[in-house]
Amino acid sequence: MWGAWCARCHAGDGSGKVNEPTITVEPMDFTECKVTTPEPDADWERAIAKGGPGVGLSSEMPGFEDSLTAAQISGFVSHIRGFCKEAGWPSGNNNFPRPIITEKAFPENEFLLLPAVNHTRKRQAPSLTDVSFVGVYERRIGKRSMVEFAVPFASHDHSAFRISGLGDVAVAFKHALYASSAAPRIVSLGVEAVVPTGNHDDGLGHGTFIFEPFITAGALLRDWYVQVQFKSELPANTDRADRALVYNAYVGRDTSAAPNTWTVGLEFNGENRELALTPQVRKGLTGTGALAASLGVMIPLNERQERGVRWVGYLLWEFLEPFRAAK
Amino acid sequence: MGRLFAVGIPGTISRRKVSAGVLGCWGARVLGCLGAVVLSAQVLGAQTGSVTGTITTTAKGLAPVRVTIDQKVCGADLPDHAIVVDAQGRLANAVVVLTGVKRAAAAETTITNDKCAFVPRVQIVRPNANVKTTSKDPILHTTNAQLENGRTLFNVALPIAGITITKPIGNAGNVRLSCNTHPWMRGWMVVTDDAAVVTGADGRFAIDNVPPGTYELRIWHESLKSAPQKITVTAGKPTDLAVQMK
Repeated sequence: MWGAWCARCHAGDGSGKVNEPTITVEPMDFTECKVTTPEPDADWERAIAKGGPGVGLSSEMPGFEDSLTAAQISGFVSHIRGFCKEAGWPSGNNNFPRPIITEKAFPENEFLLLPAVNHTRKRQAPSLTDVSFVGVYERRIGKRSMVEFAVPFASHDHSAFRISGLGDVAVAFKHALYASSAAPRIVSLGVEAVVPTGNHDDGLGHGTFIFEPFITAGALLRDWYVQVQFKSELPANTDRADRALVYNAYVGRDTSAAPNTWTVGLEFNGENRELALTPQVRKGLTGTGALAASLGVMIPLNERQERGVRWVGYLLWEFLEPFRAAK
Repeated sequence: MGRLFAVGIPGTISRRKVSAGVLGCWGARVLGCLGAVVLSAQVLGAQTGSVTGTITTTAKGLAPVRVTIDQKVCGADLPDHAIVVDAQGRLANAVVVLTGVKRAAAAETTITNDKCAFVPRVQIVRPNANVKTTSKDPILHTTNAQLENGRTLFNVALPIAGITITKPIGNAGNVRLSCNTHPWMRGWMVVTDDAAVVTGADGRFAIDNVPPGTYELRIWHESLKSAPQKITVTAGKPTDLAVQMK
């Protein structure tokens, strides 16, 4: 059936390159594992059922939901997966929506901007507003690894004056150790190195290298995303910065099957004894979901004298994904 | 005579047939009654007019389209029906619309993929009607319905013969049908609740039961154009327009 129905636009080998195309857009190359494996099966099933517009792509792909059963559509998706001939790529069914603070386990190619606004109101003291931005670049390496560069900018409110500047730059490496395709479960190990580029005297940086190994895992349990992360922060100079144990957990759920749907979630964030809850929402901003934004509020559960409520979020751009339909 | 009309004989006010006038004709002498019936029939027939005419063009018919795929079902080439014109220049598949005269077309209509062509190529569809797309061909067709601004209303796959898929047309205006597996295929649906008719091979059109008045006559064709014209319909006086499209 691939030959009779699909090959005329997608080619017999799934490459999307046909001799005399009957359409004006070029379909995704299904033989390119780098592009296809991060996609979850559900998005492909939706593209076949509803046509291109169901996943933010060209209307030249028709919808088959009135002529194929769900089982048949699933069968086609399995056939398309076979066009990627390389083993070892982690399945896109493990590519869960990114929480704001918890590190996700799936490797990504993306740019991120993470703003945070902290507002502390103390009794008989002026309220203070701290702002920070972190610019992040993530790049996959090989089939299962990823490297990340994070550049923070912070602005601290000292009531009478404000100090702003570059914080501590961080470099991280992450590797997906285990990723299953059927029952989505993924475990990754990683390590982050914090470089003391921020001015310690100004309070913008820690003033020491910090070595941060971490483990992160995720699973899809009956339409609920569960993601957890444990990280150990080991500063080279313990006079300047404290050791810390960081533990984060996220539970969330999509509100519809569209790739750019609203996803609601709740994080539990802990650092040593400081605990917080961060309810959040995420939304894809283009039909394909290549551009997405998330907004949350980090509410301290204890140690509130030093910690106020913090508004957090991110703007995300998966730069290898098509932005929107070509036509 | 006067007494007949005072009673309010059914049939003289509405556009009913003559027999209704006869039924209501009581309480007067038979001869006088028949006379009243004949008079009322003349008044009935003269209360509406009609708009008729012929559409012609000097444009020539087109060369056949080359069939690039599925030749076993479609043939090696197919006639190009973007312009269907006979030796006298009479144009088929032109849609004549009389704006201001509301007329309901069918609430449901069918478009068939038959030997790699949309049949009928051009049809009038009522707003919010259900469009049933079906295929007689044992090959994959996709019926892609697009609005004039390029936006796709729906694109349904018809992988085998005999499947029928129904979609609502909304208030679409002029809808272009194409097929993403057979790019030469074209069809059109003119969505309107105005009185409208599609010309046949003889280029003729006729819109009857038009109340007297002034209307705008628009003619749509997929390849040719003509300016809209104002026409005045008088009861009892037929029009016979000759319209040229370029």
